[in-house]
Amino acid sequence: MSDLNDDEIRALAKSVDLNIPDSDITDVNYSLNAMLQAIDSIDPEGINTVEPLPIIVQKED
Amino acid sequence: MNNHELVFLSAASLASEIRNKQISPVEAVEAYLQQINRVDPKLNAYITVLADQALEAARESESDITSGINRGPLHGVPVAVKDQIYTKGIRTSSASKIRSNFVPDFDASVVTGLKSSGAIILGKLNMTEFAMGDPITSAFGVTRNPWDTRRNPGTSSTGSGAATASFMCASSLGEDTGGSIRGPAANCGLVGIRPTWGRVSRYGVDGASWSLDTIGPISRTVEDCALTLGSIAGFDQRDPSTKNIRVPDYSAGLTGDVNGLKIGLIKEFLDSDVMGASKPVIQGVMDAAALLASLGAEVEEVSLPLAPVSGVASRIISAVERSSLHPEWLRDRPDDFHHNTRVAFSVGELIPSQVYYKAQKLRTLVREQTLEALQKFDVLLMPVAPVPATIMNLNPGIESKEAAVNALTEGSYRGLFSMVSGPAMSICCGFTTEGDNKLPLALQIAGRPFDESTLMNVAYAYEQNTAWNLERPPL
Repeated sequence: MSDLNDDEIRALAKSVDLNIPDSDITDVNYSLNAMLQAIDSIDPEGINTVEPLPIIVQKED
Repeated sequence: MNNHELVFLSAASLASEIRNKQISPVEAVEAYLQQINRVDPKLNAYITVLADQALEAARESESDITSGINRGPLHGVPVAVKDQIYTKGIRTSSASKIRSNFVPDFDASVVTGLKSSGAIILGKLNMTEFAMGDPITSAFGVTRNPWDTRRNPGTSSTGSGAATASFMCASSLGEDTGGSIRGPAANCGLVGIRPTWGRVSRYGVDGASWSLDTIGPISRTVEDCALTLGSIAGFDQRDPSTKNIRVPDYSAGLTGDVNGLKIGLIKEFLDSDVMGASKPVIQGVMDAAALLASLGAEVEEVSLPLAPVSGVASRIISAVERSSLHPEWLRDRPDDFHHNTRVAFSVGELIPSQVYYKAQKLRTLVREQTLEALQKFDVLLMPVAPVPATIMNLNPGIESKEAAVNALTEGSYRGLFSMVSGPAMSICCGFTTEGDNKLPLALQIAGRPFDESTLMNVAYAYEQNTAWNLERPPL
């Protein structure tokens, strides 16, 4: 996937009523694109069928 | 014993001396206050020192001792807590400008637990702003590593690591989302445990990430860690995430017997070509494994192919969950954040829902794979970090997208067991030298959910056969 550019990131931010100032846009770009690229490249077996259970369900005493 | 020597006692030894009326709680608090006055100007580990309150509590504690009343295993022992943990009537800032005037009207459950065990709260410890990012984000200044003040003390519980390592408290509490107890323990040469999610109440703690946050001790010895964890663990009806599962006597479980225990070495983190661990780090872990094998443990390699993706997934989960806590601050008070924190919160708001969802599905797969390994092995070993404490970059900002990707990968070292939700701890496993400075190396020991006892016993067996915890930073 291609990186989001600064204008696309600002538009995305506007959709959640968030302003990204000029002083922040480059770092937001690096960090957001790093996360999107990294997770896009991960495709293990079972990823489409597993339930996204965030925590352990442990039987109590 | 003079005050200077007193602070070098372990929390367990100090508690014993107090119980036996060899040292008074007032002497203990005075000694630690002197140490704080002497050392903290160099390290900036404390945000708030509670000198008057601690001395008053010490006098009450001393009076109890004289009357034959023993409040608990930490009676009269001075401890300190990270500044995101609520303390009644005392500022709890999360190291932020936004919360710099916040004074809770109740104690966090973990503070109540410490006090019920007889501990005396010495003060509130520095951290990264809202438990995110680097030491430079604290609104109360950078905390420094006592082994080399140019270096990172470990995040986000920076003050908990620095204060405990430099003898400015007998034990401390940190909060671990993606490694914030284990990182400072590793960088400062200490023992720290991230308990199982649900083992320790988070009631009265400023949250970072609901599905990842845990509260736990950072201490100088395994016994101190066990004592401190024992005072805060257990079901709390005010925190629905806690489980009503029996809390064992952690101290009694420290037998040092690891004969026949099955230990797995996670090979992905011991291959420098896969995860970039340095030679000293790998050697430290391998030597520790060999020592445990010599004590009768059965050690063998195990592969967890999904473990290296833990950093990416855990960082995405924590970024989204953190930014959802107080979205109004980002809109109403953006200039009151440190630049790096504001960037991190903004990114958390922009991550698409399907990406967060995928990260949670990855979490399930990583957990299943790891728990399957823990059916065969009692504990798993790996490093806490690929390298020892690094020199801090005091400039705000992110160097490049590649640097951001590398940080995600590095996050797997601690993110793995945050994702699993089981317990994981850090213990010093040696030192390496960079320039003129000795720097601690760290071993990570992880285990089955709610089985903190086995982890701590393995760490205890290791500690009893090494002398790393006797080393002192050059202050």
